Amino acid sequence: MHKILNNMQSENLIQSLIEQSRQIINQVEKLKTNDLHFLTWRENPTAWCILECLEHLNLYGDFYLPQIENSIKNSKTKNEIEFKSGLLGNYFAKSMLPKAQLNKMKTFKDKNPLNANLGKTVIDKFIHQQIKLIDLLTQSRKVSLNKVKIQTSISSFIKIKLGDTFQFIINHNIRHLKQIESIQANRKNA
Amino acid sequence: MTELIELSDKTITMDRNEYLKVKGSIDTNIYYVESGSLRVFVLDDYEEQTIRFGYKENLIVSLDAFLTNKPSVFFIQAIKKTVLKVITKQQFDIFLQTEANRVLWTKILENLILQQLEREIDILTNSPKERYQRVLKRSPQLFQEIPNRHIANYLRMSAETLSRLKKS
Repeated sequence: MHKILNNMQSENLIQSLIEQSRQIINQVEKLKTNDLHFLTWRENPTAWCILECLEHLNLYGDFYLPQIENSIKNSKTKNEIEFKSGLLGNYFAKSMLPKAQLNKMKTFKDKNPLNANLGKTVIDKFIHQQIKLIDLLTQSRKVSLNKVKIQTSISSFIKIKLGDTFQFIINHNIRHLKQIESIQANRKNA
Repeated sequence: MTELIELSDKTITMDRNEYLKVKGSIDTNIYYVESGSLRVFVLDDYEEQTIRFGYKENLIVSLDAFLTNKPSVFFIQAIKKTVLKVITKQQFDIFLQTEANRVLWTKILENLILQQLEREIDILTNSPKERYQRVLKRSPQLFQEIPNRHIANYLRMSAETLSRLKKS
């Protein structure tokens, strides 16, 4: 399901990303039944707790979602049947997918929520952002996933295609939901 | 109806608040509610507007996607733990090859049109009290199955107004 093809139909890509987002919402919705003690448990002092994983994703959402919204709104491009992943965008999106053994990645300082004193509202914010993301995915049907470019959080000079940006964001979500699963498993064994 | 449900070879269970479908997806399945309840809503400028409910022994479907095979604007969310039987459009198309089944389907659609007309009158009715009474008369079971805040949203009134009307 998480296989990324370099060439695909725009509509198929949008459908598949909407479906993945639905599953992500459902997975996070289930977390709400846990108490704060569980949601803020960490394996060691430098490891993230569940809420920090979600807040990390929220920080990315805060960066990307308004930009995507404006880019779609201001774009004069037309939708295209084919989407061809860009070299850099494809690399970013793929690099986000978790490997069988969750590989460690470097977190940018401004996206690190460690010890940020978080509450359950973080979950609501995350779900709200996913609904927004789904709305933007449906809006993106009217524009070119190839020609609309989005600035990355690394540098405003590095831009990737809208289609790759969506894949990147959702793969990044999947990555940290896997991390949340492993936190839950470790907590049970602790 | 039993003939229709027997087509299903898949059952899904959803927890409270889980989404069966979100905006923009093309979901052409028909769902039969074995237990639990769901609501169908649209987002109007990020404000949720509930347009329909499904509870025990109801069919629920994104009729727009089902009929057109195009993306649907609807969200469908479980209100509580819900068990659904899934009937795919492919299964249903085979079902429709029989004359008697086509008659049944026409009856279901006719019934749906009548329900939609009632709903249209609901929405165009100015008085909140009258809107409430129309729905109460038509679907008393709704008030047993669905939490107040969702019914209030469906009736286009605040939860406070609804609870006041229920008492009066």
